[in-house]
Amino acid sequence: MKELRRNMRFIGTLAVVLFVGLAAWFAMTVYAQGNIWASDVHNSRLKTTGSLRGDITDRDGNVLATTAEDGTRLYTENALARRALSQTVGDTAGMSGTGVETFWSSTLLDISSSLTDRLSELFHSTRHVGSSVQLTIDGPLQAWIASQFPRGYRGAVCLINYKTGEILAMVSMPNYDPYDLAARSEATVEDTAFLNRCLQGLYTPGSVFKIITLASAVTHDPNVVTQPFTCAGEWEYEGGHIVCLGGTAHGDVDLKTAFKRSCNVTFGKLAYQLGLDRLKATAERFGFNENFKFGDFVVYNSSFPTRIDNMNELVWAGIGQGQVLVTPLHMALISGTVANGGVMMKPWLVRCIVNSLGAETSEGAPAAYRRVLSEPAAGTIAEYMYETVRGGTATRAAIKGLNVCGKTGSAEISDDKSVETNAWFTGFLYDEAHPYAISVVIEGGGAGARMPSELAAKALKKAVEMVG
Amino acid sequence: MARNKVEKMKKALMRSNTRLLLSAVMLFQAAAMLLIAFQKGAINVQALILAAALPLGTALVTVVMGRIWPVDRAILILVLFLCSIGVIALSDIARSDVTPRTHAVYACAGIVVMFIGAALIRSWRSWKKTLPLLMALCVIALLTPYLPKFGISKNGARNWVGIENVLTVQPSEFMKPVVIVCLAAGFSNRPRFVKCLPVIGFAAVCCGILLAEKDLGAVLLYFLTTVAMYYVATSNAFISLAGLGMGAGAAVLAYRALPYVQARVAIWQNPWSDYEHSGYQLIQSLIAIGSGGLFGMGLGMGMPRNIPLYYSDFIFASITEEFGLIFAIGLIAVYVLIIMRGLIVAFNARTSFHSLASFGLVIMLGLQTMLIVGGNTKLLPLSGVTLPLVCYGGSSLVSTFFSMGLLLGISSMNAEDEARDIEQLELREEMND
Repeated sequence: MKELRRNMRFIGTLAVVLFVGLAAWFAMTVYAQGNIWASDVHNSRLKTTGSLRGDITDRDGNVLATTAEDGTRLYTENALARRALSQTVGDTAGMSGTGVETFWSSTLLDISSSLTDRLSELFHSTRHVGSSVQLTIDGPLQAWIASQFPRGYRGAVCLINYKTGEILAMVSMPNYDPYDLAARSEATVEDTAFLNRCLQGLYTPGSVFKIITLASAVTHDPNVVTQPFTCAGEWEYEGGHIVCLGGTAHGDVDLKTAFKRSCNVTFGKLAYQLGLDRLKATAERFGFNENFKFGDFVVYNSSFPTRIDNMNELVWAGIGQGQVLVTPLHMALISGTVANGGVMMKPWLVRCIVNSLGAETSEGAPAAYRRVLSEPAAGTIAEYMYETVRGGTATRAAIKGLNVCGKTGSAEISDDKSVETNAWFTGFLYDEAHPYAISVVIEGGGAGARMPSELAAKALKKAVEMVG
Repeated sequence: MARNKVEKMKKALMRSNTRLLLSAVMLFQAAAMLLIAFQKGAINVQALILAAALPLGTALVTVVMGRIWPVDRAILILVLFLCSIGVIALSDIARSDVTPRTHAVYACAGIVVMFIGAALIRSWRSWKKTLPLLMALCVIALLTPYLPKFGISKNGARNWVGIENVLTVQPSEFMKPVVIVCLAAGFSNRPRFVKCLPVIGFAAVCCGILLAEKDLGAVLLYFLTTVAMYYVATSNAFISLAGLGMGAGAAVLAYRALPYVQARVAIWQNPWSDYEHSGYQLIQSLIAIGSGGLFGMGLGMGMPRNIPLYYSDFIFASITEEFGLIFAIGLIAVYVLIIMRGLIVAFNARTSFHSLASFGLVIMLGLQTMLIVGGNTKLLPLSGVTLPLVCYGGSSLVSTFFSMGLLLGISSMNAEDEARDIEQLELREEMND
């Protein structure tokens, strides 16, 4: 009987512990994801609720979306600005699933507001108005960048503050007019216009990935910066070969020169030298293969191959080809990490939430996501990126009077050369007062040295003028 | 004089003051039902009647049962509280008044059965002898869904029997307490492994039948309870772990071989991949829970009817939507309290049979609660068991009441035994004086 009691105490304690764990898990998930669940487009409570949606404003208080007295939802008056902000703000039909209107709908409608608020509304007999959401986005800046985007191209521009993690602009082309949804069945809106390419566009990074290969090299072997490399324009190795853009032979180069001229052969060799495990480890420090849960928005997960069948795949992964995929937001974060001394900040989109009574119920704040690199390693990469803008492939990104650092990329998206490459630029202002990081991708834009670099320079300059 | 003393002792042993608990429960029941009665324009007469009937019924059952036997009143009140939550939730969310009324009738039947259960376990002392008979009865009962005319399939599982639209029962529910009693009888007095084999074989046969009927939740419950009871009874960790391992192996095999198991796991992993069909109910459950937030949408203010099976498999999600997260966690806490009080009953029992039986009843209740709460909240794959005492369904309600009746019966026997002990102790002291 004694033993029986002891065993029962053991199993009983186990059961109670399991129950506590269950309750804790339940509370945690509802706390962390309850809003996301409630904002699901399939939640019919949102459609039938009598309450009015709260406002969406940008960082300066410009109203991006509001509800009129009669209940209709109004967006920015200027049609160009309205379109530029379409995927960020979202729409009433939930076409842009990642938009604030959809993702934050349970907050905007406040379907489960607190007891005191409900009582107060009962006494004032007003119609329930949801909370207002203020974004970190600069509306005019985003509209301006969209207006500068090359005509007829698709792509994305993502601009963040790398010291705070605030997202300042998310331009995704093509875009749509949230008022035109009635006509969407008539194919007036391109399907992909509903995508927010900054968050949902998974692109092959191409040469901009060399930032990570470089980071891996300087982290694992600081002496690599003095190692001599030779580039004959192409390199044959067991199981494949790699060529530099246009077959250019860069000759005898050190790592810095190879980086600023974007030498594929050198970086292929570097990846080969590092091996998959080390390269993967660095990529995963940067957030590849990670299930991103930033809370304010949904972003697709970037991927880096976890296993390879032959050396060929490793070499190509080292220059961001093959199975490597990244979103423009993530690329901006990567640049920002380099600029921020190796610390990646958690990106956020919602500055504050104010309930219908005017009380602030939630406020965003900068938070470090993770230290990715040591400070010296980040410094070295920043210096290389600075050289790339000063005298390398990204000279068109230079802005007079500002320290621009950057890296271009031309990502091949097919095996033959018939399809124009996706053009990339990512970089940042190395400047305490203007800590902005940017990533630009133009689909089929050719070489990253041209259109994306120019657009990035314009956008960064404008950001300094407008945001300060 | 001695007789009088025993009575006094009995009362002292139940002194754990349950009056406050009883009043709180009664207040809650009355307030909730009144709210429902006056919520919509016209007065809901049925809810008004229930507003009086629930608290009075709770008080009556507590007092009557407490008078007859010195049962653990805390368990009794909490059990009645859970049952009334079911009636309240159904009055609020069900489409018609028939559902809560039927549920209330089931609850009355359940309470009667609870008395029968307590009386049975108190009076019937020769479990060992009736064991083979009980086991045979159990296997036959579990096989009844295969009867050509009376077997019925519901929600993909062939585990019902009866005449449709008249009376249908779920043998796997009713056999739960019977199986536990069989296991407790077989495992009592610390037997060797070989002596346990007939009972273990019996449990395996039950699990096999249930698996064939696709009643996955019941298989899991029966299996885990058997392993837990075997371990507790024999302290044989090796065989228990081997049993668990075999169970895990069987689960993997079942996953490989049975498409409906794969489907369940796939839905659990990513319900959003097939929103329109298989993922629909789980997503709607999560949406409901998320919409409820901390304090809930309010009684009668939510839309839990969007969830298919909002009144049975997903009643926990419905309750969370209306009453909120805090209440839902409180509800889980009530189960934990019943389990802890039940474990105390198991500790104090005088024979290993009674100890094991109460332990098994409590563990089965706990496992069942965990499975369904975890299933509603996407912690575990959904396995189609009921939320004990709350969820709509006569078989489960009556069977759980019977289980609780057995537990209460054992608790009353403990109280009497203790009273007798104290009395003897005092007699001895008097002699010494």
